[in-house]
Amino acid sequence: MAADMRLPTIRKTVSLSVSAFDRKDLVVPGDVITSDTGFMRGHGTYVDEDKLTASVAGEVQRVDKLICVRPLKTRFNGEVGDVVVGRITEVQQKRWKVETNSRLDSVLLLSSVNLPGGELRRRSAEDELTMREYLQEGDLISAEVQSVFSDGALSLHTRSLKYGKLGQGVLVQLSPSLIKRQKTHFHNLPCGASIILGNNGFVWLYPTPGQQEEEAGGFYTSLEPVSLSDREVISRLRNCLLALAAHKVLLYDTSVLYCYESSLQHQVKDILKPEVMEEIVLLTQQKLLEQEG
Amino acid sequence: MAGMELLSDQGYRLDGRKATELRKVQARMGVFAQADGSAYLEQGNTKALAVVYGPHEMRGSRSRTLHDQAVINCQYSMATFSTAERKRRPHGDRKSTEMSLHLKQTFEAAVMTQLYPRSQIDIYVKILQSDGGNYSVCVNAATLAVIDAGIPMRDYVCACTVGFVDETPLADLCYAEEGGGVSSLALALLPRGGQIALLQMDARLHQDHLERLIEAAMTACKGVGKVLDEVVRQHLQEVSVLTSD
Amino acid sequence: MLKSKTFVKKTRSGRVMKIVREHYLRDDIWCGSEACDECKQESTVLQQEACIESNLCSYPHYLIPDTNVVLHQIDVLGDPVIRNVIILQTVLQEVRHRSAPVYKRLKDIMHEKEKHFYTFTNEHHRETFIEREPGESANDRNDRAIRVAARWYSQHLKTPKSSTDGLKVVLLTNDQGNKQKAEDSGLLVYKCEEYIKSLIANPDLMDRLALSSDDKNEITSSKVLFPEHLPLSRIQTGIKSGSFLQGTFRASRDNYLEATVFVQGEGEDSTEVLIQGLQDLNRAVHQDVVAVQLLPRNQWVAPSSVVLQDEGTAKDDDIEEEEEEKVLRISAHEAARKPTGKVVGIIKRNWRPFCGMLNVSQIKESTRHLFTPADRRIPRIRIETRQASTLAGQRIMVAIDGWPKDSRYPNGHFVRSLGSAGEKDTEEEVLLLEHDVPHQAFSQAVLSFLPKMPWAITPEDMVRREDLRHLTVCSVDPPGCTDIDDALHCRDLENGNLEVGVHIADVSHFIRPGNALDKEAASRGTTVYLCGKRIDMVPELLSSNLCSLRSNVERLTFSCIWEMNHKAEILKTRFTKSVINSKASLTYAEAQMRIDDATKNDSITKSLRGLNKLAKILKRQRIEKGALTLSSMEVRFHMDSETHDPIDLQTKELMETNSMVEEFMLLANISVAQKIYDEFAECALLRKHPPPPPSNYDILLKAAKSKDVEIHTDSAKALADSLDVARVDGFPYFNTLLRILATRCMMQAVYFCSGMDSDFHHYGLASPIYTHFTSPIRRYADIIVHRLLAAAIGADSTYPDLMDKHKQSALCINLNYRHKMAQYAQRASVSFHTQLFFKNRGIVNEEGFVLFVRKNAIIVLIPKFGLEGTVFFDTKDKTAPNLVFDEEGPTLNVEQHTFHIFDKVKVTISLDDSNIQHQKIRMALIDPVIPGVSVPAPDIEPQAKKPKLD
Repeated sequence: MAADMRLPTIRKTVSLSVSAFDRKDLVVPGDVITSDTGFMRGHGTYVDEDKLTASVAGEVQRVDKLICVRPLKTRFNGEVGDVVVGRITEVQQKRWKVETNSRLDSVLLLSSVNLPGGELRRRSAEDELTMREYLQEGDLISAEVQSVFSDGALSLHTRSLKYGKLGQGVLVQLSPSLIKRQKTHFHNLPCGASIILGNNGFVWLYPTPGQQEEEAGGFYTSLEPVSLSDREVISRLRNCLLALAAHKVLLYDTSVLYCYESSLQHQVKDILKPEVMEEIVLLTQQKLLEQEG
Repeated sequence: MAGMELLSDQGYRLDGRKATELRKVQARMGVFAQADGSAYLEQGNTKALAVVYGPHEMRGSRSRTLHDQAVINCQYSMATFSTAERKRRPHGDRKSTEMSLHLKQTFEAAVMTQLYPRSQIDIYVKILQSDGGNYSVCVNAATLAVIDAGIPMRDYVCACTVGFVDETPLADLCYAEEGGGVSSLALALLPRGGQIALLQMDARLHQDHLERLIEAAMTACKGVGKVLDEVVRQHLQEVSVLTSD
Repeated sequence: MLKSKTFVKKTRSGRVMKIVREHYLRDDIWCGSEACDECKQESTVLQQEACIESNLCSYPHYLIPDTNVVLHQIDVLGDPVIRNVIILQTVLQEVRHRSAPVYKRLKDIMHEKEKHFYTFTNEHHRETFIEREPGESANDRNDRAIRVAARWYSQHLKTPKSSTDGLKVVLLTNDQGNKQKAEDSGLLVYKCEEYIKSLIANPDLMDRLALSSDDKNEITSSKVLFPEHLPLSRIQTGIKSGSFLQGTFRASRDNYLEATVFVQGEGEDSTEVLIQGLQDLNRAVHQDVVAVQLLPRNQWVAPSSVVLQDEGTAKDDDIEEEEEEKVLRISAHEAARKPTGKVVGIIKRNWRPFCGMLNVSQIKESTRHLFTPADRRIPRIRIETRQASTLAGQRIMVAIDGWPKDSRYPNGHFVRSLGSAGEKDTEEEVLLLEHDVPHQAFSQAVLSFLPKMPWAITPEDMVRREDLRHLTVCSVDPPGCTDIDDALHCRDLENGNLEVGVHIADVSHFIRPGNALDKEAASRGTTVYLCGKRIDMVPELLSSNLCSLRSNVERLTFSCIWEMNHKAEILKTRFTKSVINSKASLTYAEAQMRIDDATKNDSITKSLRGLNKLAKILKRQRIEKGALTLSSMEVRFHMDSETHDPIDLQTKELMETNSMVEEFMLLANISVAQKIYDEFAECALLRKHPPPPPSNYDILLKAAKSKDVEIHTDSAKALADSLDVARVDGFPYFNTLLRILATRCMMQAVYFCSGMDSDFHHYGLASPIYTHFTSPIRRYADIIVHRLLAAAIGADSTYPDLMDKHKQSALCINLNYRHKMAQYAQRASVSFHTQLFFKNRGIVNEEGFVLFVRKNAIIVLIPKFGLEGTVFFDTKDKTAPNLVFDEEGPTLNVEQHTFHIFDKVKVTISLDDSNIQHQKIRMALIDPVIPGVSVPAPDIEPQAKKPKLD
């Protein structure tokens, strides 16, 4: 089989504009942000000898008197209403544990899911025994954050038809900070596939469902073979996502779509080559700028 | 003493450095996409790769869970090709277990674990090439990886090995010097506050010398700290330039 | 500032090894020249006006010698004329590898400011570092590195505008190939000889030039005298495979054709290999590390008992030698044969400059002469000098340069002159040099650490010190002693017990660890007492004043105080730093008189009596435990106060008080040893005396048996007891003789560090642990023990080196060496003064005893003078008498008379100054009368001086 071999090349250093060097809002752990005691201590900071000090490397954000440092990269810090994509890691009594790229596994209570047979069905002991039939370890789900526990763990729910078990598709794991917050995170892209941009950095790509058929509480997964064209589109989208992520471009429907369009002149497998990646991302960024302007 | 002359009368060491000079440090953060944080660091010829996962749910035995802070799990290993003689290094031999423990202690002192109760932070370090000061290089690499992962720390942890020869402390020992019968000391420091995260020495040394040696080690650590700081800031700027628009 | 370059090397040594090394090449290494304004150096070493007057180089210049020039011409480089020399790091490292003594000397030279020697670290310099090219040998690479550095210098020095007169660098090399290449690349290069010859007004430097190998053909006949030495690689494989043995070569003092090689085996077992004959000795010189090959068993020989000296002239002495060698090969008993071998290669030369005298060649114009070292174990050396006529009759120093295989003698060169032979000062200098006794005046740096005078005890000194000034302390020493380091007291306690104190001068108070004074003392190790002269370990201000516990002055001391009952049992021991005020400085005789004088009843006398009583008990206890009382002859010279020539001599007499002081010193030493060992098990400095191997006693047993006395040597106790009962009627001196012999059987007592050894026993004193605490003024070991003790009782703090057992044991090695050398020097001094004594009084007849019997001689001890001499029976000029030697007795049958050990003989003593270098006491037999051997008693006896001796 022909393998693509590449010689090592010198890594291009990102040229930094002069202004970038002077940015005062970038701090590293141990940097004193202010010694003024009037401020409130937010995330990513701590107080050391009355000085507000950064504990992570990132950007300082001030909201009134609250000072936070947002790290460049971090685990998902869920808030109520966030859309997440996650994977079941454990089935416990009355609840599932879901890995959602946050620092503790999230919880999906049996009471927070729609079970087949109507929303107002009472949860019986029998349901607890058959939990695994609905969702078992390794299954992927989409869900929404219902509440946040005191220790930071998330409680999820799938009480909507758009949430639930995910069937055939591709999962891309990215940094949560790259996902742009939007009204909706479910998009049917015009290119012929759908995307769920989970706030937790997990992105789900799947073929756009044919018709909005009434599903059985979201636990039904179609096992119909997916057409080659759909699979190609999904693959291309996946590589585009990775390319954008590598260049730290925020992800939302438009950016993904533009990227997809820019990549069309290349084969799917070539997209991940650094120079192609760079080219595509540049094109995308241009398009985005044009659109904004 | 017929061995090598570790420090010449003119004040030069075997490799041409002066007593207080460090080796060249080069580092890069974020070398792995799939990990939460990662870094690669070269200190002279010693090269290490550090990867951080977490904080995440406790894996393995739940019994280790701490309800008020995160558990730091460190693993140190050496590549088979890292030393002069190619040698298979079984996982968890005495030396690497000890080193893992030292790393764990070092980072427990620096990482703000109390923010993440019931979680676990994994720090994996691998020595790719060994030329002295393995512990220090691991600590420095792991610091960068932890910062890359966005895990809050009080300060950098910088480590350096120093040795004592002819009444002179030598900073940042290379392998030839470590093997040359020098009593060496490894120190991990939080440079800004000057707190010591870990101090380790298994050679005999008179207490009168200790202070000077620690002094030299702290200076060296601060030097390392400066280099790490530059690396982090550079990385920060590169990334923020990309994300800013 | 830092240019770095990393390279990875792969070497193949059986397995593939990955070797990673780093080398930082710098651009902040300065040239060290005054004339240079480019380098940002803080201080310069090389002068701008670097002028050595030379025919070849009339301009100012710096010298760059290559490695071989440094190695061989270090004596020339050491001359004050040679200044402004650049020593490259490459050269320095090579020298370090190849010769430790030269390296040390080079370093000493570089430290001298006025020599302007600069070390240029070319291996770390960005522009002068070179990599070894493929196929290039290490030597070639180094030569190239030297040339590159030299070129860098010559270009570097060209640039500064200031020195238009052109400072240049001159490369000195003796290697033809190197010189050629250097010339090709446009460097100024000369051979060392060329350059030195060109120096104006320094003709004597020529003499110091080492003979380089090029010249050897001129000197000697082309006849190959010696087998070739094997290359080092073959020696190493040979040693590994066991076919060769490695050891230290020790030439025999008595026989220049015989030597032993001491092979250090694993652990305890070390063997000696005998080497006989010039061919087999194969150019090894005393103290060299050599490789030997054992001969087949049937060629093994026994050590000869013949005394042979190399009397040959410079010319062909082959014939004579053959004869002499024949003498050696007398077949010996099978049993007496020892492993015999031959030297196949030299692993490491251990040459130093030797003292000796020139045998001026008979040919007047000759510039080549033979030099005879004072040490008989060193062969004669051929040197080249033009000042032979001036040097004749002088003691000079000569260094060996090499020993080609076609030369009967090694080649060397003149180093310096010490003065004319036979003069007391010169001879003393010689014996100090020969025994490596540091005897220069103390340097200013050392003296600067002395306390300022006038000195008085300050309140700070009293902190942690006990005030013992009220006690009746007194010191007892030999007459004329100015460095009093111990004092004693004894008083009754209220509870009926006795308090005994030993107060030792607190030298460690004045000598602080690590300063120049301390280092100097550590290097000297001990005070050396010669006849009429003392080479101090510490400057006189301390030794004879501040630390000397003279009477009626306040002195700082370190005290060891016991509470004892009247049976001399120790009830309590304590140590403290203190202040005393000695009430009297007594001599042994004075102290004895006070004790004996029943009318005296003052506190000093009472104290002395108490001490004396306890000391007797202590001594008895000690002897019961098996301590040995041995004997050796010690003599004292009465010196003429003006000429310092000896006018009389007497053997030391021992009084009760001697042993009184000794007992308490022993007790203090033992108590301190126990204390410091308890406190610092790893780094206590102790002294041990290993029991001698049983074979050492052979001579003693044989000797005793000849008089039908039995000696038991199973243990120290048995030996002591059997020596006590060994008496022969009508021969009162027998016991002393036996004890003298027993002393010779003993091993040397040595210092050691407790962390490095497990056997602490002191055989002679029958003590499980022992150290030296009581003479810190004259022994450095005691200073260390003081410091340890002070740290143990919290009176002083420790310092790093004190706690480092490796440094401690390195120190012990030096101390043991210095002690041994000091003893030898002392003996040499005594024998020199004995010679002077006999020179003044002509021929004397004396009675003596046969101490040893050799194959061709007997060794006679004259008790009156404590003098030992050899009576030869086969002198060169006479026909040898019929000698029959019996190994068993051992006895020697000369004509009709048989000599046994302990025979009483009468001899004449005279000074034989036919050889001015080795003046010796000649003894000739008078009684028993053996025709043709003994001499008639001389008629005239120097009656005038005789009475003094009786």
